[in-house]
This record gives sequence, C-alpha cells and structure tokens, in this order.
Amino acid sequence: MTTSGLLIATAIGTPFAMLLACLSPAFRKLMPTLLGLAPIPALAAALLADDTLLMFGNAQFKLAFAMDKPGAMLLTVAAILWIASGSYATTWLRNTGHAGSFVVCWLMTLTGCVGVFLAADLVGFYFLLAVLSVGASGLVLQGGTSKALRASAVYLGVALFAEAFLLAGLVMLAWVMPHESLLIRDAAAAISTSPWRDLTLVLLIIGLGMKAGLVPLHFWMPLAYDAAPMPASAVMSGAVVKASALALIRFLPFDAALPDFGLPLAAIGFFDAFYGVVIGLTQSEPKLILAYSSVSQMGFLVAVIGMGLAIGDSGSALAASFYAAHHLLAKGALFLAVGVVATTGRHKLWLVLLPAAVLALGIGGLPLTGGAMAKLAVKPILGDGFVGLLANLSAIGTTMLMLHFISRLVASTASIPSTSAPVGLALPWLLMFIAAIALPWTLYPMTGIGIWSYALQPEILWAASWPTLIGTMPMFVLWRWGKALPQMPEGDLIVIGERALRKVITWGDGLERAEGWLRQWPVATMMLLALALFMGRTLIDWR
Amino acid sequence: MPHSLSSQDVTTPGGLLLVLAILIPFVGMLIGFVFGGGKAQRVALATLAAGLAIVIAIAHALVQSGDAVIYILGGWKPPLGVALRADGLSVVMLVAIAVVICGIGVYARADFGTPSGVKEARAPLTFWLLLLAVWGSLNLVFVSGDLFTLYVALELLTFAAVPLVSLDGRSETVRSALRYLLYALLGSVLYLLGAVLLYGVYGTLDIPLLAIRVRPEPAAWAALALMISGLLAKTALFPLHLWLPPAHAGAPAAASAVLSGLVIKGSWFLAVRIWFDVFAGVVTLPSAQMLGGLGAAAILVGNVVALRQTRLKLLIAYSTVAQIGYLFLMFPLATGLSSAGLDSVVSVNGGMLQAISHAMAKAAMFMAAGLVYATLGHDRVADLRGLASALPMTVLAFALAGASLIGLPPSGGFLAKWLLISAAITTLQWWWALVMLAGGLLTSVYVFIVVVRTLAPAHEGWKPKSPVPRYQQAVVLALALCSFLLGAAVLCPVDVMQIGRTVSRNTLLP
Repeated sequence: MTTSGLLIATAIGTPFAMLLACLSPAFRKLMPTLLGLAPIPALAAALLADDTLLMFGNAQFKLAFAMDKPGAMLLTVAAILWIASGSYATTWLRNTGHAGSFVVCWLMTLTGCVGVFLAADLVGFYFLLAVLSVGASGLVLQGGTSKALRASAVYLGVALFAEAFLLAGLVMLAWVMPHESLLIRDAAAAISTSPWRDLTLVLLIIGLGMKAGLVPLHFWMPLAYDAAPMPASAVMSGAVVKASALALIRFLPFDAALPDFGLPLAAIGFFDAFYGVVIGLTQSEPKLILAYSSVSQMGFLVAVIGMGLAIGDSGSALAASFYAAHHLLAKGALFLAVGVVATTGRHKLWLVLLPAAVLALGIGGLPLTGGAMAKLAVKPILGDGFVGLLANLSAIGTTMLMLHFISRLVASTASIPSTSAPVGLALPWLLMFIAAIALPWTLYPMTGIGIWSYALQPEILWAASWPTLIGTMPMFVLWRWGKALPQMPEGDLIVIGERALRKVITWGDGLERAEGWLRQWPVATMMLLALALFMGRTLIDWR
Repeated sequence: MPHSLSSQDVTTPGGLLLVLAILIPFVGMLIGFVFGGGKAQRVALATLAAGLAIVIAIAHALVQSGDAVIYILGGWKPPLGVALRADGLSVVMLVAIAVVICGIGVYARADFGTPSGVKEARAPLTFWLLLLAVWGSLNLVFVSGDLFTLYVALELLTFAAVPLVSLDGRSETVRSALRYLLYALLGSVLYLLGAVLLYGVYGTLDIPLLAIRVRPEPAAWAALALMISGLLAKTALFPLHLWLPPAHAGAPAAASAVLSGLVIKGSWFLAVRIWFDVFAGVVTLPSAQMLGGLGAAAILVGNVVALRQTRLKLLIAYSTVAQIGYLFLMFPLATGLSSAGLDSVVSVNGGMLQAISHAMAKAAMFMAAGLVYATLGHDRVADLRGLASALPMTVLAFALAGASLIGLPPSGGFLAKWLLISAAITTLQWWWALVMLAGGLLTSVYVFIVVVRTLAPAHEGWKPKSPVPRYQQAVVLALALCSFLLGAAVLCPVDVMQIGRTVSRNTLLP
C-alpha cells in the first residue's frame, strides 16, 4: 500500500475502529473525550494524500478510495470542523446522561462523512452515504425531545427517499460505464455519452438535490438543525450536507455544456436562495434562522453548479467546492457560536458577538472575509448579466438574514450578566473562527482559483461592499416594524406534507379492508383457481 | 436451453454427502423420538452440528470440482432410477438454511428445554423432532433431481411445518394450523396434477430429461400452470396468503422463525427450479409478468398492511408477505433477459440472494420479537419503551435485520436489489425497479417506528418480566449480522451460485 493509500485508509479506519470499540461499555464511557481526535487522520489525509486509488476487492468488484482536488479541499475544512465540534461535544456531553448513544451516532456520521468525501466508486459512495444518513438521523434524535423525534423521522425519510432516486440513477450509470469500471472519475464522461443520459441525470440531480435541501424538499433542514444538539447541528449544516454537493460536483459532466439541465438547476437554486432568506426572516430562533440560511446558501451553491453545467465550464467544479468550503467553515462556526452565546452573559458578550457578526456578514459577502473570496471565485461562472444580478440580490438578501440572525443572537444571551462560556465550548469556537477567517485566504491561491493581489483590487472590494451596504438598510425598517411579520411554522411545507401523509394513511384503511376480504376462504380458493387458469392462458404462445 | 442442470448421470466425488444431508436429520429425528424426553433436545443439537458439517463438505466438493455434485441412487440411472443433484443454487440454499436452522436451534434451547422434574413435555419434544424433519425435507427439496421426489419432499415439509404453528395447543393456533394445512394441501393437489400430466405426456419426471423433452404445447402449458399455482399457494404469494399471517404470528418465536424464514423458501425454490430448469423453453414473458405483477402487489399491499399492525409479530408476518413479493420479481426479469438474448444470471443471483438474506433477517426478527415478548409480556408496537436499555443487542439485531429488508448497503438485500434493478433497467422493465424502491421506503417506515419506540425510556421502577439469556440475544444478533453483511458476497472470487449450471460469466455485479 502506498503512503497515500495508508493515509486514506487510516482516515476512514480511525472513526470506524472507534465506532466498533463502542461495543465495549468501557470504551464507550471513554469515547466522549476522544471525539476531537477522531478526525485528525482525515485532516492528515486531506493535506498529504494524492489521487492514487486505494482498492479493496477482487477482479470482479472493487471498493475504491481516492483523493481528488475538490475532495481534498472540502475534507480539509470538514476535518477541522469535525475536530472543533468534537471537542465542543466533549464538554457539552458532560451535562447529559445519554453520552453513549450520542458518540455512537457521532462516530457513525463521521465515518460516513469522511468516507463519502473519499469514496471513488459508485457502490462505496452509495454505501457510505447511507451510513452518513442513518448516523445523522440518529444524531438528530439525540436532541431527546418529541420535536427531535419528528425531525429525525423526517430526516431519515427524506434521506432514504432521495437514496431511492440515487440508487436508480447509479444503477443506470453503472450500466453504461466503460470497461465495467465503477469509478466515479469515469462517471461524468460515461453520463454524457450514455443513451439514458437525460434520465440518469434527472435521477441523480433529484436524489442529490433532495439531500442538499432543494425546495420543495428542504423542510428536513430547519427541523433537523433546530432539534439536533448544538455540535451535531454544526457538523450537519457544515460538513454533512456538503457530501451531496460534492457528489453533484463529481458526477455532473462539466466538460460538455448542458444548458437543458444546467439552467433549470440554476433556476431552482436561485429560487431556493431567495426562498430561504424570506422564510428565514420570519423566524426568531437563531438556530432556525441559520438553518434557513443553509437552505438559501445550498440553493446558491446549486445555482453555481447549474450555471457551470449550463456553460460547460470545467473550472466550476473547483470554484463551487471553494464556495462550499467557505460555507462549511462559516456555518459550522456560527452554530457553535449560538451555543457559546447561550452560555455567555451580557458583560462578555461582545467577545463572541463581534467575531460572529464578521462571519455572519461574511456569508453575505462582506469585503475581505472568506465569503467575499467565495463570491469572487464563482463570479466568472455566474457572469455579469442577469445571473450576476441575481447573485448580487441574493447577497443582499443573505446580509439581511444575517443581520436578523445577529439581532436574535443578542436576545438569546444567558440571563446572568457575568456568566462566561466554559473554556471547552469557547476554545473550539475560537478555533473555528480563526479557520473560517484564515483558510479561505490560504486556499484561494493554493488551489489556483486566483491570487491575492486580484482579490484586493479596489474595484473588486467595492463590488463586494455595495450588496452588504444595501442589505443593511431594510433591516432598520424591519427591526422597527418587523413585529407584524407573520411567523412561518418551522419547516414550512412539511405541514402540508404531513396532511398529505394522513390522507395516505386513511387510504391504507381501505387497503387493509380489501386485504381482509382477500383472506376469506371462498375468495382465496377462487383466486387460486383463477390464477391457475390465467397462468395457463398467459403461457399459450400464439405464434 | 440456456440454464439447465448439468445432465451427467454418474455419481461424482462427494455425491454420498447428498444422501447424508437428507438422511442425518431424519435419522436424528427417529433417534430423538426413540429416546424421547429431554434427550431429544441433545440429539437434535448434535444432529444440527453434524448436518452443518456435511453441508459445508458439500459446498467444498462443489467449489473444488467446479461442477454439480451428483449421486445416482443404487446405480440406476434416470429415467429408471432417481438422481440427487446439487448445483450452485442448491448448495447456496443448503448452506444458508443450515446456518439459519443452527441459529434457531441454539436460540430454542431456552424456550424449548424440557423443564426439570418433568420426564417429557409435549411442546419441546414436538418442536425438536419437527425442526429436524423440516430441515431434512428442505434438504431433499434442494437436491432432488426429479419432480416426484420433489412432491414427496414438499409434502414432508408441509406436514412437518403445520404442527409447528400449534405447538402451544391453544384453539386459535390450532385453527390457524388447519387453515395452513388445508390451503397447502390444495396447492399440493394442483402440483401433483401437473406432475402426473407431465409423466403421462413425456414419460419421465427427471428434471434434465424433461427439460430436453418438453415442448410448448397444451399439456406442458397446463402442467406448468397447475404446478406453479400450487406452489404459489404454498409460498403464500399475495393474494394467496390467507394462511400466513395468523400462522406465522401465532406460533412460538422459534417456530415462527422456521416458518417465515425457511419453510416458504422450499416451495419457492421448487417454483424456481421448475421455471428455469424444466420449462425454460415453455415460459413466456406475459406469464412471467403475471408472477411479477403478483409480487409487486404483494410488496405494496404487504408493506402497507404491515405498517398498520399494532402487534409486532403480525407486523413481521405481513413484512414476510411483502418480502415474498420480491422473490417473484426475478421471474419477469430473468425471462425478460433471456428473451432479449441476454444472460439471466444477474436476476437469478439477485433473487437467490434476496431469499437467503430474507431467511436470515426474518428468522432474526421473529426471534427478536420472541425476546421482546419475554421481556415485556406483550408485543404491542405502541408500547415498546425501555427495550433499548433492557435488550440493546436485540434492538440492534432488529435494526440490522430491518436494514437488510430495506436494502441498505452492505446488506444482502442491497446487493439483491442492485442486481434486480440492473436487470430491470437492462430489460427496460423499469416498473419493477419502481416497486422495489417504493417497497424499501415503506419497509423503512415500520422498521424506524419500531426502533424509535424501543428507544423511549422505561417507566420508573419498570423491571423486565423475565430475564433473557445472553446467548439468545447473541444468536439473534449473529443471524442479523449475517444478513446485514451478506452484501460482501460480491467480494467472493467465484460465482458459487452458477456452478454446475451451463452459464457464461456475468458482468453486472456491482
């Protein structure tokens, strides 16, 4: 095994081995203190591994793992988020009684997350994605409330529903792969020459889009992020949801311009970007506002991917990954900040609030922040025309939403003014803050997306500033008179969905009665005879 | 004939093992009957161990020779004599059934031990003897090479299985047992009628000889229609499932595991044998579509009705109704592949994997339900609180078995689904893929509901009704794990299932 292979194997193997170790109660007790260490091999692999394939299996079938450029970038930042949130969880778990099940779900999610980022073949990818979904729905359940139960059920339901589409798409894809290869790196080329190109793409996009939280199947996101424990919300909104974005980036054929797919995808993405902002503005829970901002940002990311697909820009894979990497860092850090602010009194509040505000406005594109770099990176794909305008409008919207978030965050401080957050919570948050500020600046030149001197030109800085400035103004109006805004129910469309589900359950009533009728003796016996006759009839070959 | 049994008629090395695989369970049963009482259990367990060893030896012989294992009884060649044949399909089923039955045997030690101070108790003695009888008859189903021996095997299987339903002797279970018996006999009559018809027209019941002689003509059509419908009744494919839910849900847990996991696979396997090895030249795509249609209806109706059950054992029984449906989707897919001139191995392998993985998962689920009943004193789905802390291994086993039924990777159910969906897409029969995916989603709903209910904390001061031995939990978990990890079969370097069948290499494995 090569060094690179070894690194990749330990990256996935470490959390998996820790998961297995949880079978022993003694290890399970110890595990909460080790959560921050589990992702370290993943970080090492992200920094050092190359794209040689690590294979397990035989000539007929192999599981393959490898590191590609988008994967390396996202895994680096994801590993840092996992380390910070894991350390945060160590402190957080001290006050809860059910640490055992939490660490099991945590490690399962981590294994799945690292695995999906590294999986290089279709079957391994699907497998690890399932591990990820099941683990993450378990994490949501750890909220322990009836709200968490509902959110977890919805999360798992949507995830499995999405995976059904995905499975169909992957099987179709496997069927057209050259030389019976199942490698993801051959997938994009195979899709664009496949006779079933359109159907395969639709299935993959629906499956992955649902997991990325595209409207109308976005409702799991606010429910889950609100109900999950704080460190779990951080990794889910940051790292877990990026798995599907990364998969989109890897599967879609960016070399061929496919406007028939790219433009609708971009349209849906932009719709999401605004939808998330509008609904988010009606919410008052800081976690919920962040969740709706995730709906909006994932929408924007999908729009970028869609535009890249439409114009056939092969550079869009890297640019979209960079955008995703920044959102991962910033959103993860902000979720941790919500937890830190909740345990901080008024006296020391500014110590947390100020950095949080910088990060929050950074998502809206505040100049000199990582967010501005991310927006700059995707600018060539979106262009200056109508789409560029939409992007700017969405930046304005995000700035509004983030200001709303900050104002609600202030309102959620601890009641005793002199309390300060425990070090075990504050330090991971500080680490995330530094990473969210510094890493975009490092990755921007390192991955060859651009150079600093370009990003620091005055006109570029000005272009980044005006959406932020414009976004600030309506917020004064909203703060003054915003009380009159209607409150959307959490998870908005799910309310309709649940009504539909109840309808289906009443249909089940009828089905059950029919089934009871079929189980009567006279009916069943007649059925048997009829079946024999009908069978004979279908066998007759008329030729 | 794209897939026929290899038609050699000489005894191969290891052929005698086939005789032993059938004889040993029956001999064990007789010895147990003679000694009676508490000794029957020890005899049965010893027989299980011996039988498992023999089955493994058969598998070894098959893989070593790379061809079917054959034994010609008394040196009389067919059509005069009777041949026992084990090709890849048979051997895979033999091994899987042996593993499951050994698991059930270990589990049942606790439930069917003869109480101390009593010389002999009816239920334990009956259970152990019938367990061996079921095993012997299943082995006979898998290795028989002619349709009459198969009929005998099928009858033995039915008569061994029916009393398992009413082990506790309550009047309602006796009623379900009778329901089962009557309907199964109806099925037998149809099967026998078909067999007689074949013998009258073609003068043989030997499978390879028949495969050469049958033509698409009225007699063959009638025979196939009669035999298959009879087997459907015995397999309880929707809408012929009237006997299954009460019988499987009413029996004691270990017996339910035998019935739901294993017994129905006997008649299903026979249907596969007849369809692919005898009538390969007679079957038509519409007839296969009809079987698939019934399977699809089973999946949808079975799963929805399972969702609405309030008792855990009934829920699992209806899940069996649904899972039987998956087993019949392989017929239209395989027939579709062969009529398009393609290799049907993919779908046959998929169907077989589904059968094996369901056997393991369902046995584990029913036994888990038994432990739940022992701990709570009831099995109402609405009130499973406290189970996750009282029986963590059992809840994990239930979840893993459920994952296999849903078809999550790396379970056997997933690999089966992958193969079957590939076949569906290749033959442009996408509607079967749709049904499979929808069925998986419906399954996930009830598995989730059950698992989440068990996670709820128990009431203050609640105590388990009776303690559950650890080994029982362990064996349930082991079976569930077997099913959950069965997808690793894809890493197996040879395609064991197709040994001894004339095939070309398949290429669709994921």
